[in-house]
Amino acid sequence: MSLRQVQRIARPTTVEEAWAIRRAAPDASRFLAGGVDLVLYAPPSVTTLIDLSRLGLDGIREEGDDLVLGAMATLSQALESPLVAGSAGGFLRDVLRRVASPPQRNLATIGGAAVRGHPWSDVVTALLVLDAQLETYDGREARLSLAAAGAGEGPSPLVRAIRIPGAWRGSRAAFEKFSRAAVDVAMLNCACSALVERGTCREARVAVGGTPALARRLLDVERSLAGTKLTAVETRAAAEEAARGIEARDDLRASAAYRRRLARVGVERCLESIAGRGEETG
Amino acid sequence: MIHLTVNGKERDWDALPGDTLLDVLRREGITGVKKGCGSGDCGACTVLLGGRAVNACLVLAAKADGAEVVTIEGVSSDGALHPVQESFLEAGAVQCGYCTPGMVLSAIALLARNASPTEHEIREAISGNLCRCTGYVKQVEAIERAAARLRGER
Repeated sequence: MSLRQVQRIARPTTVEEAWAIRRAAPDASRFLAGGVDLVLYAPPSVTTLIDLSRLGLDGIREEGDDLVLGAMATLSQALESPLVAGSAGGFLRDVLRRVASPPQRNLATIGGAAVRGHPWSDVVTALLVLDAQLETYDGREARLSLAAAGAGEGPSPLVRAIRIPGAWRGSRAAFEKFSRAAVDVAMLNCACSALVERGTCREARVAVGGTPALARRLLDVERSLAGTKLTAVETRAAAEEAARGIEARDDLRASAAYRRRLARVGVERCLESIAGRGEETG
Repeated sequence: MIHLTVNGKERDWDALPGDTLLDVLRREGITGVKKGCGSGDCGACTVLLGGRAVNACLVLAAKADGAEVVTIEGVSSDGALHPVQESFLEAGAVQCGYCTPGMVLSAIALLARNASPTEHEIREAISGNLCRCTGYVKQVEAIERAAARLRGER
């Protein structure tokens, strides 16, 4: 599908320049990252696309203990990165293998996937449990938690990178996705992570997405898990709490009741995997 | 105007800012690139962009400016089919043929990076190429044959 409304593709070479173009035309412009979404869903008002590919934002690097994924790195680049493979036991790599198809992963960027916020996004669910932050620019540099992004007035800031803090890079994490076919979007997805010290879960993160709303963390479940030994009884209880805690709704993919069931099964599988009792579910 | 290297030849083609790579290729007569769903789901428009399989319907032509593009028209050499194409013929992996160009290109991209893929890896590599005629069994077999052939085993 071509975008007949687009009249201009701007090619800035600095983030300052890119932001100036965006700010000057909030309704008529959009940032162009991988373009996968824009090609399909650009609003009719958008006449200018701001190509971010010349800003040098596609590197994946370590900063101290943190992992910094340039926003323009494609999902394939992230999937193939040894730094990503070496983080949280390869958790993010394993998630990315299950996102869309290889041709789409060769186009879609990690920054685009993080901020476009499709309700079924596997990437958002995964990044939430790694406590990911967005490094942004909107006239000044800032760091926002993923959950807080896009909440302000006016155009969303330019995302320069996704930062995964060192602590959660060293967490144990697991992901589950339920979809009708390998490349179909999720009926529901979930991810859990935990900082485990001498057999005790010091801190946990639990996120469920595609409910069919965009993923969010389940703070009550996270609090319940802190201080536990992640025994089978405790992971089952947390999974049941998660199933009650999601805002499940019916849509064409699944009913609310089925989604609650998936959430219980998915969260329990993730936690069992983190506790070292998981089975390979593919 | 965009500058592309298509199947080894340099091209300067007119493109509107909102044209996709698929629009431009087909307009210029490269019709081995099929238009299926137009939304990145079916993979009939798969081409190699900088050596990687992508959905041409999701790529704005302007983003491909300066890049190297390979379509099904460019994979044979001197009239000889590519080993992946030969293997598709031998395995009977083609029925209506609409998905075939895209699937062959996905297979070529896979085998360029992984000379000995497992069946799972093959299935993953063609997961973005929908075939409505078959059950994928023959295509997987064809790609296994092609891998062996490219390794010099057949």
